[in-house]
Amino acid sequence: MNRKRLKTILWSNLMLLAVLGVRWQSQAQDAQVENKTYTHIAPIEQYLMADRDTEIALARSGAPESISRDAEILVLGPHGYETAVKGKSGFVCLVERSWMAPFDDPEFLNPDQRLPLCMNRPAAQTHLPLTFKTTELAFAGMSKTQISDSIKAAFDKKELPLPAPGSICYMMSKQQFFSRRVGNATPHLMFWLPQQDHVDWGADSPDSPLDVHQYSPQPVTEFSIDVSKWSDGTPAPKD
Amino acid sequence: MNERLVSKAAWGNLVLIFLLSAAGGMRAQENKNPYPNMAPVAQYRMDRNAEIAMARTAAPESISKDAGVMVLGQKNYETAVESKNGFVCLVGRSWLAPFGTAEFWNPKNRSPECLNPQAVQSMLPYTLKTAGMVLAGFSQTQIHDGIKAAVDSKELGAPVVGSLIYMMSKEGYLTDKVPHNLDHLMYDLPSMDGAAWGANLPGVPIFFRRLDPAPITEFYVVMTEWSDGTPVEAATQAASPSHTHSN
Repeated sequence: MNRKRLKTILWSNLMLLAVLGVRWQSQAQDAQVENKTYTHIAPIEQYLMADRDTEIALARSGAPESISRDAEILVLGPHGYETAVKGKSGFVCLVERSWMAPFDDPEFLNPDQRLPLCMNRPAAQTHLPLTFKTTELAFAGMSKTQISDSIKAAFDKKELPLPAPGSICYMMSKQQFFSRRVGNATPHLMFWLPQQDHVDWGADSPDSPLDVHQYSPQPVTEFSIDVSKWSDGTPAPKD
Repeated sequence: MNERLVSKAAWGNLVLIFLLSAAGGMRAQENKNPYPNMAPVAQYRMDRNAEIAMARTAAPESISKDAGVMVLGQKNYETAVESKNGFVCLVGRSWLAPFGTAEFWNPKNRSPECLNPQAVQSMLPYTLKTAGMVLAGFSQTQIHDGIKAAVDSKELGAPVVGSLIYMMSKEGYLTDKVPHNLDHLMYDLPSMDGAAWGANLPGVPIFFRRLDPAPITEFYVVMTEWSDGTPVEAATQAASPSHTHSN
């Protein structure tokens, strides 16, 4: 083999290794991002949305327009949630952040999460105090463990209410974003009840149409059911 | 999404139309009513084993395989299979339709349903009270008055929190209106305005019916798969509830 050809082969191999190295590094970084967990809140600015009107629109996308147009809209400010639009129907829409995820969810405190949802009056009366309290604790810079312990204490002292009968929440926004790992998930309805045995609803078995999440430390059971369309009426992908 | 799957919005409109048309008082439009009176009782009965099997089709197998099953006996529903998981499945008949509706006495109605423990506690008594009066030969008016009296005396009451009924049977015949069936879950709550759930509004996958004289509001969430996991196809899903639980 002549020296020129050998040199060409060596350069080709070096280029290939460089490309592969970049690719592996990128994949490793992606894996790091996707597998990352968060024990403390990131700078608050990362959880806020730059444009108030965008957050209002995003909040409304949690439910069909026939519901969200008359709903109260909350937006997240630097000191917590504030009313941006007064409602007429009793429904409340907002964009939840990741401190409202289950404490065992790896995305807890992920600043990228944006979860539009619209809840009816009974749900708003009993879920929003939890939202406000958790937001306050997160903004105070508490760790995940500290937030969990504070929430547990609040429920133990009955400072936070249990879900009222008839509590329902719509999560049907095509723009909802859980994480890079989960993406947009699927549109669904959620029913909140005081903690109970999910077996009583036939939930969480392989052929059941109902999913269940038993929250902890909140004494709350959440049943969810997928629906076939996003809030804008377009069909959702099947799982 | 499979184009053959039902558009929930389309079916939802049909359900809404049916619910609105079914809402009515006690005075049925008898001159248009194909079922003005109860048919011979034999027309409402089924082979026992067939009824057990049909009852179980109301919910996915993981639920129904351990559920109790009740079948229509001589004087009322009877336990054919004891429950292991607190659920009870049965095949409802047309007299669970709202009072005054044209199909109240439709002998063809077969409405498989599986009630969760909370619904067994609070909704099944309505089914049994009604069936007992029907098989005793009461008129529709007498049945209505009997339910009202039971509510007034607190023999029957509001649903227990968490009451849920599966009606996901592909074999259901809920109405003479083509295509006769509706795949859904029913949530029963103490009487309330359906607007509290946003039900019946455009684009919302939930519908409701407020019952009378029972102090109950039923919310229906339309499903896209039958209890056996097969997808609902356009030809097999439709407006239905000529059926509810307690009128």
